Amino acid sequence: MLDVEFQAASGVTVIFGPSGAGKSTILQCLAGLLRPDSGRISIGGEMVFDSSRKIDVPAQMRRVGYLFQDLALFPHMTAAENIGFGIRVNGQEKVRRVTEMLERFHISRVAAHRPEEISGGERQRVALARALAVEPRLLLLDEPFSALDDSLKRGIMADLKQWLASTGVPALFVTHDRSEAEALGQRMLLLHEGKLVGSEEF
Amino acid sequence: MNWPAFVLTVRLASLTAFILLLLSVPIALWIAFSQRRWKFLAESVIAMPLVLPPTVIGFYLLIAFGRGTAPGRWYEHVMGTTLAFTFQGLVIASVLYSLPFAVHPMVAGFRAIDQKLIAAARTLGACKAKIYWRIVLPLAWPSLITALVLSFAHTVGEFGVVLMVGGNIPGVTRTLSIDIYDQVQALNYGSASQTALVLLVFSYLLLCVVYGLNSQRALFWGGK
Repeated sequence: MLDVEFQAASGVTVIFGPSGAGKSTILQCLAGLLRPDSGRISIGGEMVFDSSRKIDVPAQMRRVGYLFQDLALFPHMTAAENIGFGIRVNGQEKVRRVTEMLERFHISRVAAHRPEEISGGERQRVALARALAVEPRLLLLDEPFSALDDSLKRGIMADLKQWLASTGVPALFVTHDRSEAEALGQRMLLLHEGKLVGSEEF
Repeated sequence: MNWPAFVLTVRLASLTAFILLLLSVPIALWIAFSQRRWKFLAESVIAMPLVLPPTVIGFYLLIAFGRGTAPGRWYEHVMGTTLAFTFQGLVIASVLYSLPFAVHPMVAGFRAIDQKLIAAARTLGACKAKIYWRIVLPLAWPSLITALVLSFAHTVGEFGVVLMVGGNIPGVTRTLSIDIYDQVQALNYGSASQTALVLLVFSYLLLCVVYGLNSQRALFWGGK
């Protein structure tokens, strides 16, 4: 049972709460992967879901980037192919964009490798680059850094923060780790047993 | 060894397997991913050849091919003869008879793909066709091979349907399985034994391919 209502401005909004509080569910509803029983979702001024007016924009058209907890990298594709998967253009322009993302996230050296051949930290960066390569208007992060050690985490979060700041794309970051929340977020929404019980500014 | 029958059998099985590969992919994709409530009705139709006596299937096909039906008459008008007792008729019969043997492995393979990968593809803007072509089919390729091999093997093993629809015409519809039957009826146990042994070894080798491929599945990516 989930019952939430909030508005997220630009910057990083953290959704904080214990496991099972419904954090991932919120992200899945926003992305269009799960359909809420009732309510409204508006992204960038566009109403993508409205149960009373039967509006439900499919996931593929919402332009919402999603970073899964287990990354969900395509195992049969190289890092470069993963990153280029969602890019609509072809040929030189696509190569240029993929190369740019590889450089931005410091993973150029693994471009031709498959996910199973690279380290956890590198996989994390590939997943991030993949989600951002399609220029989403909202980025959703579902506890993506939980499997990394602190030094790796700091490096990736720094790159992510820089990218978000330069593009102005808002992000919703789900975590149960307080230090991650403070490092990445501008504000925090507290979720407990399916309900929003508070908020904090950083 | 009845070489004409051997060649005929291989031709029939190859053609059937190839046609089934093309036909079954869209069917299996639909079964694996569709949410329609009446899907079970379609699944039951496809599974019929698993439970029906081959002679029942053969019987209905014979009627369908004959002059008593519109399609049967149309075919005769165009080709000069009905589909009954022809190689083409056998191909159609084999495709229907082996359909579940192609569809089921594919459905299993498609369903075994990690849903997160499909969800990720959707958030990256991929439409259904792109997801099927670039994620589902490449990751499920062992199940496509399994479908191909099983429908081939199953067609080699047909008897009842082939007899009813084919009429056992030498060089046209007399397959190896029918040939063994004929040899035994004529008390040529030596000849029958030789053919039977070849089919036994051949079938075993095909199954080794299927099981070998699927045991490696644990090493392949994409599974749940």
